[in-house]
Amino acid sequence: MYSTISGVLTGLSRLLAMLGGILLLAITALVVLSVSGRALIWAGLGPIPGDFELVEAGTALAVFCFLPWCQMERGHVSVDVFADWLGPRVNAVLAVLFDLAMTVVAAFILWRLWAGMQDKLQYNETTYILQFPVWWGYAVCVPVGAVFVLVCAWTVVRSLVEARDPGRAAGRA
Amino acid sequence: MDKLEIALWSFPLLLLLIGLRMPIGLAMLLLGIGGSVLVNGTWLPVMSQMKAMAYDTFSNYSLGIIPLFLLMGQFATHGGLSKALFDAAESWLGHRKGGVAMAAVGACGGFGAICGSSLATAATMAQVALPELKRFGYSGSLSTGALAAGGTLGILIPPSVVLVIYALLTEQNIAKLFVAAVVPGILAALGYMLAIAVYVRLKPDSAGHRDPAPMAERFRALWRIWPVLAVFVLVVGGIYLGLFTPTEGAAFGAAGTGLIALANRGLTLEKLKTSLLQTATSTAMIFFIVLGAAVFNTFLAFAQLPQEAAQWVTGQGVGPYTVLAAILLLYLVLGCFMDSLSMILLTVPIFFPVVSALDFAMDPEAFALWFGILVLIVVEVGLITPPVGMNLFVINSMARDVPMVQTYRGTLPFLISDMLRVVLLVLFPGITLFLVGV
Amino acid sequence: QDVTLKLHQLLPLKAAIPDKFINPWIERVQTQSGGRIKVEHYPSMQLGGKPPELAQQVTDGAVDIIWTVMGYTPGRFPRAEAFELPFMVATAEETSVAFQKYADKHMQNDFPGMQVLAVHTHGPGLIHSKAPVSSLEDLKGMKLRGPTRVITGMLEQLGAVAIGMPVPAVPEAVSKGVIDGAVIPWEVTLPLKMAELVGNHTGFEGDRGLYTATFLFAMNKARYDALPDDLKKVIDDNSGVEAARLAGRAMDEVDKIGMAKAQQAGNTIITLDAAETARWKEAATPVVDGWIAEMDGKGMDGAGMVMDARDLVAAETK
Ligand code: NA
Ligand code: NA
Repeated sequence: MYSTISGVLTGLSRLLAMLGGILLLAITALVVLSVSGRALIWAGLGPIPGDFELVEAGTALAVFCFLPWCQMERGHVSVDVFADWLGPRVNAVLAVLFDLAMTVVAAFILWRLWAGMQDKLQYNETTYILQFPVWWGYAVCVPVGAVFVLVCAWTVVRSLVEARDPGRAAGRA
Repeated sequence: MDKLEIALWSFPLLLLLIGLRMPIGLAMLLLGIGGSVLVNGTWLPVMSQMKAMAYDTFSNYSLGIIPLFLLMGQFATHGGLSKALFDAAESWLGHRKGGVAMAAVGACGGFGAICGSSLATAATMAQVALPELKRFGYSGSLSTGALAAGGTLGILIPPSVVLVIYALLTEQNIAKLFVAAVVPGILAALGYMLAIAVYVRLKPDSAGHRDPAPMAERFRALWRIWPVLAVFVLVVGGIYLGLFTPTEGAAFGAAGTGLIALANRGLTLEKLKTSLLQTATSTAMIFFIVLGAAVFNTFLAFAQLPQEAAQWVTGQGVGPYTVLAAILLLYLVLGCFMDSLSMILLTVPIFFPVVSALDFAMDPEAFALWFGILVLIVVEVGLITPPVGMNLFVINSMARDVPMVQTYRGTLPFLISDMLRVVLLVLFPGITLFLVGV
Repeated sequence: QDVTLKLHQLLPLKAAIPDKFINPWIERVQTQSGGRIKVEHYPSMQLGGKPPELAQQVTDGAVDIIWTVMGYTPGRFPRAEAFELPFMVATAEETSVAFQKYADKHMQNDFPGMQVLAVHTHGPGLIHSKAPVSSLEDLKGMKLRGPTRVITGMLEQLGAVAIGMPVPAVPEAVSKGVIDGAVIPWEVTLPLKMAELVGNHTGFEGDRGLYTATFLFAMNKARYDALPDDLKKVIDDNSGVEAARLAGRAMDEVDKIGMAKAQQAGNTIITLDAAETARWKEAATPVVDGWIAEMDGKGMDGAGMVMDARDLVAAETK
């Protein structure tokens, strides 16, 4: 059971991270094309309209896609100043608490993102050049944010299991 | 407690949480949210602000430069460029006393020119240089110390993620900051080489001998690093000359290093996947901290801490250089425990208004650039100061046979070199500013 | 009972509006309330968020008062765009008064959750470019930063390549040739140091300028409603047409400084003559028609709004 869920969620967050990465490659291509077009206006070409807006919306989605993977991989910066003095027991408890805090914060972010989306929808805000509704940008991030909450919740379980079974914890990378 | 007291108490609390190994972005988010609620006496501002904060931060056009630079660094890492750089540096420097370590530093500098991250530079060059250093009898201390210090060139030499964040926080021109960083960056590389030269004369048994490479081989090796030069000129030159915005320049850098890696057959599908996944982890980590800092700094603004701090400092009647020295020292102390990005994000919004209000007899823009480079250096020093130095951890984890204490000891000559450089740059702002022409 | 109001806005304290309109406004309100109202002024988005969030921040009550650019949230204040149409603007003062009257009539329902203190505009926008723009033809292929949704559309129609970048990015983009120029009023040329970056500034003969942008100075509605009557009166006394007039006057004042700076720099200030101006107005007609059609499509009286806007400006310029 544990390893099944673990496997599925790891796979899911890896998939999202890859999608975000591909999005980043697409942004790279878009920018290179747009700048080249802008440099070749004399030849009848031009920049891609709204390139700035597309980069912004694309980067936002990419970053949301990266968050679950980073949490799953314990990729967040943390610092061991007192950790060595406190012993494994206290550290294990702290790990559970911190993952719990992360889950709460992730859920808060998701909830507020949802509220923000509704604002943008309600007031018909659009982007400046392409005039696509701003809420679209929010809307695509919402399900990804939900996966982030799910993954965070899972890491709480993971920390709990590791707290009871130090062997499993030691086995991790 | 009044607003200001709440704000002041948040700092020890933040350091405590960070010290307990709470992720830094998370700590700043929690304290920022909690602090805002306390200071305002209501949840309203936080609830409203968070509706847009995450999306706004993640979609910020200028911050878009960061994942692109990270991707560029990943492609450079997998593109076989690190090996070519080290080979070239080694063929020219390797036969000198301590020459292989100098070559490692030089190659780090070259790699730093196409990579915006310190950790990536340290890790990538260590992979290539550690075996060579061992083969020619360099001590574990010197090897890991040189690579950890060399890694800092990743952010000292533009492009640099830390400078991007500084530019954003202080509303300065990224292109000018990059250019201002060039000479101090080169000075850093030379300073580290000098430190190695002195060190091996004091401790002759810490480095072995390597025969000089024939001239033909040296030039062949040099020829092989032209793509690095090309990408650097394209990106930093292009940003400076205005072919594109910094974010666009980063995209060109990613595309350029990606193509080079493809041409070198370094970028297999597997390596591409690794590149994307590692970019994902670093990007998420950085953006989460940036988000945390944005929330935390809003709380400090609600508490009016930056204004109060600036007023307090100007009211003390101490000279501007004393304040500057105190701030730089504080960075060095903080650097023992915190990572560079969090430090910048946490402190610049407070310190910058403080120092800007002082009279250094300098044009405001020139001052902002000069202060930025000084902060960059002292923050970078934090990467190699014990006990918490990210570069030390990375290098030490790759050199399994070297005890951490030896790595700690190995950084000493480089720290001295750093201190001398800071003093030099404080005394002669022209070193930083003459290329920018402000 | 004392009230502390948080005022949040996007410009630095030294800029025209904070210096010459908002700070004097704060002083008046504080004095007239006998010190019972205190306003904390947070410039430069110090309380976080990007400028487009200001409207939402005051609606939510996260802050109490905001000043913002309506065009930063395209789609949110569509009726305000009537004043952004080409060749609508006179001086900032005249246009601001007209715009306040227009908003009182047409925009009653456009600011839910807000108590509008004043709406206003800036002075006539000009084209600031490296190469001189002496006729419509000079625009062809010129890379310009467009100021508003409407004007950006117009520039494209006139043959320019409109680049949509944030204002703070403009100086760097101009100096490096990413763009050839920008369309902004004189007042904005000061913080952007445009007089040093470009050599030509193109305006129009007659009493109407190329375009203007619209601004909103507003308070949270619930916060306003909760004020005791005598303090409400202090706010009311500093709201509406007279406040709009002062904001517009501040813009006009600083426009003059901006123009003087360009003259000092020895730049060429081109004023297109009546015949050429007529050609531009002609070329801009489809933009106005397009906007009317767009508003009609959204169930608003586009033509009526344009006519009212024109009449109100005309009434002020008489
Ligand atoms: Na670099
Ligand atoms: Na450190």
